[in-house]
Amino acid sequence: MKRPITAALAVIGYVIMIVPIIFVVATAFTSGSTLRFPPDGFSLRWFDEALGYEPFIGAAISSLELAVVATALALLVGVPVTLAVHRGKLPGKSLVEGLFLSPLIVPELVVGLALFQQLMVGLDLDNFSTLLVGHTALMLPYAVRVTGASLALADPALEEAARGLGASPLRAFFNVTLPILRPGIFSAGLLSMVTSFNNVPLSLLLQGRDFRTLPVTMLDYVQQSYDPMVAAASTLVLAATVVIAVIAERTVGFAKIFGGINQ
Amino acid sequence: MTAAAELIGVTQRFGSFTAVDEIDLVVPSGQLTTLLGPSGCGKTTTLRMIAGYSAPTSGTIRIDGVDSTRTPPEKRHLGMVFQSYALFPHMTVADNVGYGLKLRKVPSAERRARVMETLELVGLAHLADRKPKKLSGGQQQRVALARAIAIRPKLLLLDEPLSNLDARLRVQMRAEIRRIQAETRLTVILVTHDQDEALEMSDEMVIMNEGRIVQQGSPQQVFPRPADRFVAEFLGYENFLTAADGTPLTIRPEHLRIAEQGQGLDAKVVDVAFRGVDLLVSLDVVDPSGATVRLRADVRNDAPLTPGSSVTVIAPDDHLVSLPR
Repeated sequence: MKRPITAALAVIGYVIMIVPIIFVVATAFTSGSTLRFPPDGFSLRWFDEALGYEPFIGAAISSLELAVVATALALLVGVPVTLAVHRGKLPGKSLVEGLFLSPLIVPELVVGLALFQQLMVGLDLDNFSTLLVGHTALMLPYAVRVTGASLALADPALEEAARGLGASPLRAFFNVTLPILRPGIFSAGLLSMVTSFNNVPLSLLLQGRDFRTLPVTMLDYVQQSYDPMVAAASTLVLAATVVIAVIAERTVGFAKIFGGINQ
Repeated sequence: MTAAAELIGVTQRFGSFTAVDEIDLVVPSGQLTTLLGPSGCGKTTTLRMIAGYSAPTSGTIRIDGVDSTRTPPEKRHLGMVFQSYALFPHMTVADNVGYGLKLRKVPSAERRARVMETLELVGLAHLADRKPKKLSGGQQQRVALARAIAIRPKLLLLDEPLSNLDARLRVQMRAEIRRIQAETRLTVILVTHDQDEALEMSDEMVIMNEGRIVQQGSPQQVFPRPADRFVAEFLGYENFLTAADGTPLTIRPEHLRIAEQGQGLDAKVVDVAFRGVDLLVSLDVVDPSGATVRLRADVRNDAPLTPGSSVTVIAPDDHLVSLPR
């Protein structure tokens, strides 16, 4: 080890992040009926219970709907913006990019409260629409950043080459630029979906009786009963998230997605 | 000799920077013309204006006698090979080469035949179904060339096509591009900063500096008679001295001779570098105007020379080039 301090910090970081997760996953497999570590024996009964618990399933479907629609909207807005920022002759490019990345910095509670006041109270929108607006805004940075990363890596001469061979600008875009961006758009979509699905602050502030996401439902459940079913549900969400993250990593790579880490 | 392309008073400004400064250029049909110059001289900008990727600030560009100054690249019917090759990564070699034909709605059977014929020409028919990523740099370069040639363009434009290849391959490809040019009889414009490449490949060479054309002609015309000091230095004339009447003169290191005594210029050996076949000798020479100048002579290995010794340097008249004052 050439840098003992960096290495030690990395290890501490991993421990802080991973140990609590191990506790949750381990307790999910308990055969007892309390959320306790170490677990009493091994069984899959709480997974069975979680998958059969109606509010969780309903909320999971709601969360999925929200994630899919918000992601689609974010890509629909974010991808053209990225193209304009990277390839167009836009004045104030960095300002525009900064604006679309800003949801990463603004506290979600602030966004949530603002949306609550303006859209739900002010415009009397239902809570699904309001949540959709909020989640779409939160997903925009991913759409802009990830497709931006794959665009920055693409050779600008590619489009020129297509033009030179006889393609109109529109044709060059569909034949060359879009196919090159496809993996980037795909992984931006996956990341957005994961982020939306797992979001708590916005969903908590904007919840309603008719529409509630899975994390919020789980939070409610924990407040009332403290059994391992919540751990089992969390483990299932975690597993799905890991699978999606691995796919995203394989298609574009996190280093490119979050930019500059390895450069 | 007809003109395949003609530039009349063409200027390109980027903000306050003038990349190309009112150049006039006639590109002869069916020949290989090189635009030669150091980086930033405006040669690539000139090529990009001919290709249609950037519109000149002022001036006229004619292609095949037709004013094409504002014609978009897709309507010019030119073949361009980019420095980065710019092969479409998601298409096979055959699809890359056939892309221009597909856009021209050439029926697929004929298209396939023309793609294979073009790949044959560059010696890559056996790799038609590979993706570009699986090819070596030299092979990618040939695909880029084939893609540009397949549409039978009015002009073939090559932007530093050999600069990303290793030294040996680069020398091979020079001959290869010449052969392809001879077989297809295309008009070729090649941008390069490598004077050896330009000398070896050109029918016509156009030397540029600071956005202007400083000299144009065949290598046989240009090489022995550089028009000014910039061209002389660029072509490897390292020695600059002044005649008795004040005219600046230049001569190549390999044309200087060193004698122990006799008719010539008095000189003192400063340094002797052994280079295998020859010696590179630095000398302080008293030139005809009386000034002492540092010259370099490239002489045969058998000359017994030691630093500090006094010698005579002979600069043969037929190799001395006078430059404008």
